[in-house]
Amino acid sequence: MLFLINESKSSLVLCMDVGFSMSNSEPGQEPSFEQAKKVIQKFVQRQVFAENKDEVGLVLFGTDGTKNGLAEDGQYENITVHRRLMMPDFELLEEIESKLQPGGQQADWLDALVVCMDLLQEETMGKKFERLNIVLLTDLNVQTSADQLDVIIDSLKKARITLQFFLPFPVDGEDRADGGGDGPGPSAAPVRPGKGLSRQQTQGLEMVKNIMTSLEEEDGLEEVYTFSDALQKLSIFKRIDRRPMAWPCHLTIGSSLTIRIVGYKAVTEEKVKKSWAIVEAQSHQRDDVKRETVYCLDDDNETEVQKDDTIQGFRYGSDIVPFSKVDEDQMKYKSDGKCFSVLGFTKQELVRCSPFMGSQVVKVFAARDDEHAAVALSALIRALDSLKMAAIVRYAYDRRSNPQVGAAFPCIKEKYECLLYVQLPFMEDLRQFTFPVLENNKKFKPSESQLSAVDALIDSMMLVEKDEDGESVDVFKVNHIPNPQFQRLFQCLHHRGVNPDDPLPPVEPWLKRDLERPQAVSARCQTPLQDVKTKFPLKVVVKKKEQKTSADVFDQEHAFTLTSIPCEVSHFNRRSLFQVGSVNPVRDFCTLILSLLNLHKNVSY
Amino acid sequence: MRKRRVMAEWREYYQNEDDEVEEDEEDSGGAYKISGRDSLVFLVDASKEMFIKGEDGEPSNFDMTMQCVRSVYTSKIISSDKDLVALVFYGTEQSKNPRNSFKHVYVYHDLDSPGAKHVQDIDKLQGEKGAQLAEKTMGSGETSLGEALWCCSNLYSDIKLRLSHKRLMIFTCRDDPHVGDSAKDRQARTKAADLKETGVVIDLMHLTKPEGFDVSLFFCDIVSPPEDESELGLQTEPCRKLEDLQKRVRAKELKKRAQSRLTFSLGEGVNLAVGVYVLARTATKPPAVRLYRDTNEPVRTKTRYFHAHNGGILLPNDMKRAQVYGKKQIVMEKDEVDEIKKFDDPGLVLMGFKPMERLKLHHHIRPALFIYPEEEQISGSSCMFTTLLLKCSEKNVFALCRYIPRRNTPPRFVALVPQREELDQSQTQATPPGFRVIFLPFADDIRTVDAHVGPTASDEQVDKMKEIVHKLRFKYRSDAFENPMLQQHYRNLEALALDMLAPEPIEDLTMPKVQMMDDRLGPLVQEFKDLVYPPDYNPEGKPAAKRKPAESGGGGAEKKPKVEMSEEELKNHVEKGTLGKLTVPVLKDACRQFGIRTTGTKKQELIDALTMQFSK
Repeated sequence: MLFLINESKSSLVLCMDVGFSMSNSEPGQEPSFEQAKKVIQKFVQRQVFAENKDEVGLVLFGTDGTKNGLAEDGQYENITVHRRLMMPDFELLEEIESKLQPGGQQADWLDALVVCMDLLQEETMGKKFERLNIVLLTDLNVQTSADQLDVIIDSLKKARITLQFFLPFPVDGEDRADGGGDGPGPSAAPVRPGKGLSRQQTQGLEMVKNIMTSLEEEDGLEEVYTFSDALQKLSIFKRIDRRPMAWPCHLTIGSSLTIRIVGYKAVTEEKVKKSWAIVEAQSHQRDDVKRETVYCLDDDNETEVQKDDTIQGFRYGSDIVPFSKVDEDQMKYKSDGKCFSVLGFTKQELVRCSPFMGSQVVKVFAARDDEHAAVALSALIRALDSLKMAAIVRYAYDRRSNPQVGAAFPCIKEKYECLLYVQLPFMEDLRQFTFPVLENNKKFKPSESQLSAVDALIDSMMLVEKDEDGESVDVFKVNHIPNPQFQRLFQCLHHRGVNPDDPLPPVEPWLKRDLERPQAVSARCQTPLQDVKTKFPLKVVVKKKEQKTSADVFDQEHAFTLTSIPCEVSHFNRRSLFQVGSVNPVRDFCTLILSLLNLHKNVSY
Repeated sequence: MRKRRVMAEWREYYQNEDDEVEEDEEDSGGAYKISGRDSLVFLVDASKEMFIKGEDGEPSNFDMTMQCVRSVYTSKIISSDKDLVALVFYGTEQSKNPRNSFKHVYVYHDLDSPGAKHVQDIDKLQGEKGAQLAEKTMGSGETSLGEALWCCSNLYSDIKLRLSHKRLMIFTCRDDPHVGDSAKDRQARTKAADLKETGVVIDLMHLTKPEGFDVSLFFCDIVSPPEDESELGLQTEPCRKLEDLQKRVRAKELKKRAQSRLTFSLGEGVNLAVGVYVLARTATKPPAVRLYRDTNEPVRTKTRYFHAHNGGILLPNDMKRAQVYGKKQIVMEKDEVDEIKKFDDPGLVLMGFKPMERLKLHHHIRPALFIYPEEEQISGSSCMFTTLLLKCSEKNVFALCRYIPRRNTPPRFVALVPQREELDQSQTQATPPGFRVIFLPFADDIRTVDAHVGPTASDEQVDKMKEIVHKLRFKYRSDAFENPMLQQHYRNLEALALDMLAPEPIEDLTMPKVQMMDDRLGPLVQEFKDLVYPPDYNPEGKPAAKRKPAESGGGGAEKKPKVEMSEEELKNHVEKGTLGKLTVPVLKDACRQFGIRTTGTKKQELIDALTMQFSK
């Protein structure tokens, strides 16, 4: 085999209706075509700039022309495979921007679906374990022949292809599992179902429901979205997100109790993946810039030395110890490979007081398809849960990585059980600072009226509310907000890529809105906030000229009397004080004058 | 000469060149610049009483103090090697101080940043032999705390560096050192007042003695008043245990510094000022320094950029930043790259409140920070802050805020979790009052994990495991584990610095004490295994269905045969944009094979390089 294909790879076909009905719109509303195009654009933008390795294809239906593998004898007409499966690139973005135009025809969306399935099957033939997904964006406003529906559903199931629908209207006002009101900011009022829908649309909707429920049973309808939903929360495209790598290991307790486990990163801080290269300003060529690092002694001449004449060393307090790379490698701490070894068990509350370290949480399951391991791990999880305890473990990712100490908490969900692993601090990581008392400090003791003002403020600013059914609804779910840093970066890259000479665009309004306090909360807290404002005098302290403490004077005095001036300013530039050098005589002179002035001022204080 | 000047400017420019600033870096910006070094003087009583051993071979007070000083020395070496430390004994027979003008004061270490030698010196004073050595070199004699304090004040003033924080800790078990000599008492008080006048903070680390230690007898006039002028003043209980003493010393030894000072805005112009503190950060091995082979002196590096064709030096505005996506290069100015990251000014902005149960344990992406009010920036902050703290804690809610730590940094949302002050048994602050700042994940930070669903355990099986858990209970403490990698590193350096034959072995506390665990568990493990595993099941064995031979590392993993890829194939991948399907080693080989220069070894960089090459 030439190369290994990453198993967790996914392929996805975007299938968009460009038929003429998509261009219709209610007065004051954006046509479905434009909305759907934006969804696709946003999605591809994300894929391109996040350098997602998943392959994306684009199929359009309702096009004037026909271009697909199934077209024959007047069948599958007006369906165009615009792009076969490949990694989305800038070209695709530009094509969507300029070439994706409304068509003048209508085509059966079920036919289009079949073309997509065919495309997926053809392109992924012989490759194993791919995740396949088709995303259909349509207004369903076309006559559809349902006679082959069962066959289609069957082959979708067989090929393990998943489906997502994006429609201009919600699938069912009441049944929609997502409930709306999830995202911050006002959402565009969706068209009510049933109202204003054409006969074809009503019929189409029934078929969508039929397909989705037979594919995914009860959860199926959760994968039907409206265009406005999709624009607000791009996280909807979760389905094709990268799956975390499995980390198979053994959980051990003592020398003879072993449980086969698999860990996955469940939460981790996602960073910008790509760094900026330096290019020459005119040619924009990277090769035109050469970088050179030289070593020089810390003497007056900045004598350069060759790299080969330098050795590696480390600071040990006031000493600098020469320590070659070879010696270091030989003497350094060596861990004996990956492990997940229990050191002991402790009360959860003791661990919760401790700071958590690292940048991730690992979910630990029993090895897949090993029911004995599952039972053994389940016993541990349930025992810990009922005792309110956690396991303290030594965790090493592999032979090369340094060991950690962390806590494994039991986690029991309706559908599964697992351990949640978080890294805990080492003694060296902690800084024990003591802070002055606040609560019992007479100077800061709040009055009754101050307490009640803040009480009212908190009540007015609760982000979790009860709805009519008494269910709590969180109106500000941070874990549903896409990281604005990425959004902004992608927006700017996209813009600059298409318009190389334009200045950068402003932050998109929806992105800004995502970061603001929800409007309803803002409105509610007006009065309590005013009350707080009047009851708490808060005044910016006007910076007096850096007051000299007695300590400073003490230092300065001695520095002066001992004529140890150079040391006094040594941390900033020792030489410049005595010498007005030739490198930058003006600066040196100014420095000299300034420091003398300073000294003078301090002494005369 | 001309060239030199350019280089000098260059160095300044490139000091802040790093694109990704180390996130946790102590903020050096703004008005919060720290100038000067922290200093700490240990003033230790060397009278006979200090050397009395406790019952049942308990270490003497002197021993305990030395262990404590040693741990401060080593921790300074690891975490703040610029700080200055001194060790001075009083009540000695011999005298040794800079001008030998003080009797019965022995300066063992002058103010200096501690190194390997210092630690070794302390080691010599420990235990039975240490006591003998102390007797021989210093002896015990007359006591004059005034002279000792005077000597210390000279240590501070002799130092030719600017000192930012000055602390003096007195270790003694004698509450009335001059036994009624009021002249000496008076002199000590005067000298202590002089020291305090010059900004030195004096702490008392009083140790236990049979009749108890009465602070009010003498020492209450010597030590500095507590920083908050509140009731919580002197710790009146003397330290009995090394652990307590270390805790007490550690709590004082580091000057607490805010990472930054920020405005916390509740909205509508209601702003208070807070300081942001890092109470836990991953300690890492410090970077290596380059030394000149002949002299072992450190060398500096200078980086410069020049034009590949004409050799001219490139100034900052001769260069731009670029990224390649697919086959397209996108170019921006350095300023624009920074601007993209700017959303708003630094600060904390309140979004609202949520019940505590909405805070998920597993939503962890970064170590938490801590905030405490800054009365000096906005007066009234402390009162507002305290009220919020009390109310949030009472109502069991946390505050959700948008957090921008510094300029040109994108926002994150954080949960401010109220934390009320708690004291431990020895009246030391266990948790400080303030809000913990917990970072919340964005949608991008949460991965979709396919849960493994399997059979669950029966009550009988769970109960057996409970017995196992019960046998292996212990009381977790966050400072109980040392980082073996760091410890080994410093032991190695210590051995090299002191010309030792081999580094002292470290105790790896992260290793399970298997023998002890097995003993405690006894037959329980077998009983549990009989309940959950069939007799022929071997959890250590390879899984039945092997899917990925390349994974499961362990011992000598076989190397995959290298297969060269044809230019044709590569071109095909480039065209279809499917290079990403190849593994990093394959991509690396391909680059090597065709002699393509890459900027790095990250997958994307390899792909970019290949794409550039083959799409020409």
